[in-house]
Amino acid sequence: MRCRSFAPRRQDAKKRGSGLRVFASWREISVFLLLTVGLLGTEQWRQAQQGYSWSFPQDHWVHPDYRIEWWYFTGHLRANGQERPRFGYQFTFYRVGLLSQAPPFDSDWSTRSLIMGHAAVTDLESGEHRFSELLYRTVPMLGGFDSTSGPRIAWSRAPTGTDGIWELHWNGEAFDFNARDDRQGLAFDLATTPRKPLIFQGPDGYSQKGRGADSSSFYYSFTRLDTRGTLSWDGQFYAVEGQSWMDHEFSSSVLAENQVGWDWFSLQLEDGREIMLYQLRDRSGAADFGRGTIVSAQGETAFIDLTDWTVQPQRHWDSPASGGRYPVQWTLRIPSHNLRLQVVALLDDQENRSRLLPNLDYWEGPVQVTDAQGSPLGRGFVEMTGYGKNSRPPI
Amino acid sequence: MIRYLIHTAWAHFRQGPILYLLTVFGVALGVASVMGIQIINRSAVGAFRGSIQAISSNADLSVLGKSGPLPETVLPTVLADPGVESAWPVYRLDAQVSADPPFYLEVYGLDLSAPQLRPWSAESAPGQEDAYDLSDALSKPGWIAVSKRLAERMGWEKGSTFQVSQGTRQAELEVGAMVDFERFSPQSSSKLAVMDIAQAQGLLGRRGRVHQVDVRVFTQGRRGAEGGEPREEAGKEVAQRLEDALGPAVEVLSGKEREDQARDLLGAFRLNLTALSLISLFVGLFLIYSSTQASLVRRRQEFGLLRSLGATRRQLLTVILAEAAWLGVLGVALGLPVGYWVASSNLEVVSSTVTNIYLLSEIESLQFPPWLLALAASIGLGGAVLGAWLPALDMSRQDPKDLLVAYTLHERIAHSALGMAALAVLILAGAGGWYVWLGRGWQPSGFVLGVALLAALPLLSPMLVRLSCGRLPLRGFGWGYSLRALGLDLQKTASAVAALSVAVSMLVGITLMIGSFRKTVEVWMEATIQADIYITTPSWRGRRSEASISPDLVESLRSHPTVKAVDRLRSRQTVSGSNRISIAGVDLHLSGKEERFKLLAGDPKEALQAARQGAALISEPLARRSGLGLGDQLEVTVPTGQVELPIAAVYYDYGSERGAALVDWSTYADLFGPGPPSNLALYLRPGLEAEQVVEQLQEEFAATPLFFRSNRNLRQAALQIFDQTFAVVRLLQGMSLLIAACAITLTLLILARERISELALYRALGAARRQILGIYLGKGLGMAVLGLALGWLGGLALAALLIFVINRAYFGWTVQVYWPWSTLAQETAGILLAAVLAAIYPALRASRTPATELNRDEM
Repeated sequence: MRCRSFAPRRQDAKKRGSGLRVFASWREISVFLLLTVGLLGTEQWRQAQQGYSWSFPQDHWVHPDYRIEWWYFTGHLRANGQERPRFGYQFTFYRVGLLSQAPPFDSDWSTRSLIMGHAAVTDLESGEHRFSELLYRTVPMLGGFDSTSGPRIAWSRAPTGTDGIWELHWNGEAFDFNARDDRQGLAFDLATTPRKPLIFQGPDGYSQKGRGADSSSFYYSFTRLDTRGTLSWDGQFYAVEGQSWMDHEFSSSVLAENQVGWDWFSLQLEDGREIMLYQLRDRSGAADFGRGTIVSAQGETAFIDLTDWTVQPQRHWDSPASGGRYPVQWTLRIPSHNLRLQVVALLDDQENRSRLLPNLDYWEGPVQVTDAQGSPLGRGFVEMTGYGKNSRPPI
Repeated sequence: MIRYLIHTAWAHFRQGPILYLLTVFGVALGVASVMGIQIINRSAVGAFRGSIQAISSNADLSVLGKSGPLPETVLPTVLADPGVESAWPVYRLDAQVSADPPFYLEVYGLDLSAPQLRPWSAESAPGQEDAYDLSDALSKPGWIAVSKRLAERMGWEKGSTFQVSQGTRQAELEVGAMVDFERFSPQSSSKLAVMDIAQAQGLLGRRGRVHQVDVRVFTQGRRGAEGGEPREEAGKEVAQRLEDALGPAVEVLSGKEREDQARDLLGAFRLNLTALSLISLFVGLFLIYSSTQASLVRRRQEFGLLRSLGATRRQLLTVILAEAAWLGVLGVALGLPVGYWVASSNLEVVSSTVTNIYLLSEIESLQFPPWLLALAASIGLGGAVLGAWLPALDMSRQDPKDLLVAYTLHERIAHSALGMAALAVLILAGAGGWYVWLGRGWQPSGFVLGVALLAALPLLSPMLVRLSCGRLPLRGFGWGYSLRALGLDLQKTASAVAALSVAVSMLVGITLMIGSFRKTVEVWMEATIQADIYITTPSWRGRRSEASISPDLVESLRSHPTVKAVDRLRSRQTVSGSNRISIAGVDLHLSGKEERFKLLAGDPKEALQAARQGAALISEPLARRSGLGLGDQLEVTVPTGQVELPIAAVYYDYGSERGAALVDWSTYADLFGPGPPSNLALYLRPGLEAEQVVEQLQEEFAATPLFFRSNRNLRQAALQIFDQTFAVVRLLQGMSLLIAACAITLTLLILARERISELALYRALGAARRQILGIYLGKGLGMAVLGLALGWLGGLALAALLIFVINRAYFGWTVQVYWPWSTLAQETAGILLAAVLAAIYPALRASRTPATELNRDEM
């Protein structure tokens, strides 16, 4: 589960006044929220429903009949043969559907969607987190999503100010991808191979996000990808290798009216298990809905829900930029699987703050998993949205 | 002293309200003419700036094509530059709205899905109309955001639809939002409209092309990033890099540079108007001079008394100048609204000139910046004080005893008439010499000569009056007496004659210039407009317009039973060296083309042969401007870079003062890529009447937005545009004549007043009222004849200057001299009549002088 929030929260709606106002609202709300409200009435998107018949590798490519889709990679990388990981990274391509049907105009700009890319790197040595982003209409010269005829799944021009492109390819087993942002002084080019096979998040890949019938998505993951490649930080190149986690998710659904954001955990334990869990929070901060998957060392999945776990924040970090108060250390208990874990952020400030879309802030970064005594049990990534004063999830 | 001033001001007004009002009116007219021109000028540039601000105010730079639209693939290159923060494409088109009357919508196609901040997307846009549904904007065919003002005027609401055309393409647009562009750019046009770029390209424009890419530069990390200077500096660096990366077909300009470019475009137009308005101000100054002179003469005794009572010279000078300044204040107060009125009543004409010739934004509103107020005040006040300076100085220097003694001034002036004439000759000789030795290469040198001429003319007038009137034999109390009297009152009559001569020389000079020019254009059109019917689309707006005629239509016209041959034309603006030129492609393969171009240099047959093989023909203005001629190479900027074309001929052309070039249709396609024509010329089968075929075609193509014009009709329309262009000039002419007429009335009134005792004496000696009336009318007529004579002389010189020096320097046209005799005769008669009419009132007053006004002191 990643970021999904389409409905504007009530306080924002109130603040914006009545009606949807594109001319008035670029500053205030992300284009996606606008689109959602604007599109809901007139656009007919396909809803995620049970019984989807999967077909791989084709389903690694785009699903344009669903409004939103993303390919999400996170991981820990060792640099130049060091023993401990030095970098945490995130790479994401989002497809944001604008129109369910292609408009009829004789123009390259006559397209159905936007492509958004996020890349972030945390250098644990210097304690610095950098975030890069791009957002383009899918026109042939700026970026787009390819058909299954070639290996490329998606591509885009690099962020403004950088000469180059970002790409995501299917390499036959898993994915290769690269990103670059000269202004941020970061670039990476990574290739992955699966250590464990693909798993579905939720029965047959049908993942529920709320109590309503249309609050759902299709969701699968590669929970352990061996990763190697190069990473550049301030112009210095590092040969890197490590482990990544990949999510591919598509849907047309929205956050429920009372939901404001979510916490998402992906943890790779040293005993060979992986844990994914998300909880959607309501306005009071309490978990409103949640689902999780525990993957055994052999790759078998067990699905759990909110009643199966507790997540107890232990320590918080206040973002001076967004005003968000994020938990950065948790105690996670899953009694049914006999798990009691300490999850600790490897760096407090791992907030991704968008410059393209004001108020789009979320926390995403590498974490360490230990037992109560502090002995390492594994690594992971955490994503938290909806914490800042006006902040909103990327989608 | 202030109390004295207030007291006397009112007293003077009561003594001679008409004289007073005329003087004020003179100042007002001078102020008004300068104001009118300045206001219009500012507004023309302002309208352009308004559009830039409304659409590109967030941008530091705009990437523009030198030879028309750009391929949109420049966008990735722009985005990749390390100094660019964001960049977005702009598609720009003029769509004609089918309404009554039809008008143009300035449509901007923008990427409405992009999160860049546009000025009209600011945080708290109030009002429901601004709201819209983005999916509609992107997908609903014809969705457009229009300005609130336009929606109100047209009675449009959200969802209202209207028909537009661009070339022969038509579309139905739907009002999707109403935006208050004015809130972000007060000067923006109400005809500004925004739609998604996909719609703009797909419905009315061209795929793959954009007109500009707006750029916001990245300044983070630079010291004082948000301040003006580092931002500008960063912008310059980025602009340079982008120009290097994108090649010579592209220019990268800041908003200010674009504004300067528009100002440059308007330069020639503005200079003419400014020069003319300054000339009317010049005439106005004469009026102030002569009226001050008059009022001082009348009040000699008053000043003598003041001096006897202890007033110093300086105090006297101050009093006189303060009175003049007060006149100036009144003149400014009256001149400002009149100037505003002049500007507003000419707005439409000027706006159409600006849009027809220079293709800038339409002027919709007048601007009146505060500095204009200061300018008006300094012109009015300064002019009044300047005009009064000499007479005031003269008066203050006089001995009080002399002031108290009545005597006339004419002797002194009579003595200095020779000196003034000598000065005039000196000025003329000096200016002439300067021009021959030094000034020739300097563009505005023609205006220097003009000013010298107009300065010399009044200086010659005392001499002229003295020579022509002083020698007249005096027979009886009739016309001869009137003229002799004119010579005696040299000081006043000379200034009225001078004012009239300046006005007349302007009138004659400009009439001669416009008449010659018009006739030259007529003759030229006779030769070049040879097809029977000319076709374009209603949305075609001249050389830079992209409205085109679809190839299907061209074919159906070509195969029409009435048509023998079709000639196509495409054109665009591009850059050649440092000149912005228009370049056109026409079918040079058609037979009989040789005669269709009047060549200044080159052999018609050879030139056409060469042009068919890729050479260019260039217009006279371009040849003059660039110094290029037969056999040289013309550098032309094309989308892929620059090419050089051999020049096969130089042709006469009065269509563009910025210069034009002509190539064969196929050469044009090689240079700029294939495309549809914007204009067609039809040659009919023998025996068919063009007007009838036009009617027939209009009926057949009623559903298509096409304009058909017969040969005759087109010529008329062209002359109409010509006349429109010179409408402002004509208005100024009228104003300066009015000022001159005022000068005659004023002079005669002064004479009547001053000579009141003399008149009374005549009456006492038995002169009939009719005789005195006759004398005064004679004086008026005499001044008119002298003014006309001197004015004609100056006018001929001025016409020569305008035609051979100023026109060549600024426009580069060869204007053949033709004499518009009937117009000139009418104008001359008109001036004489005006002079007589202007003399009637003073004459009546003079003739009513009773014998009882006899005053012993003044005898």
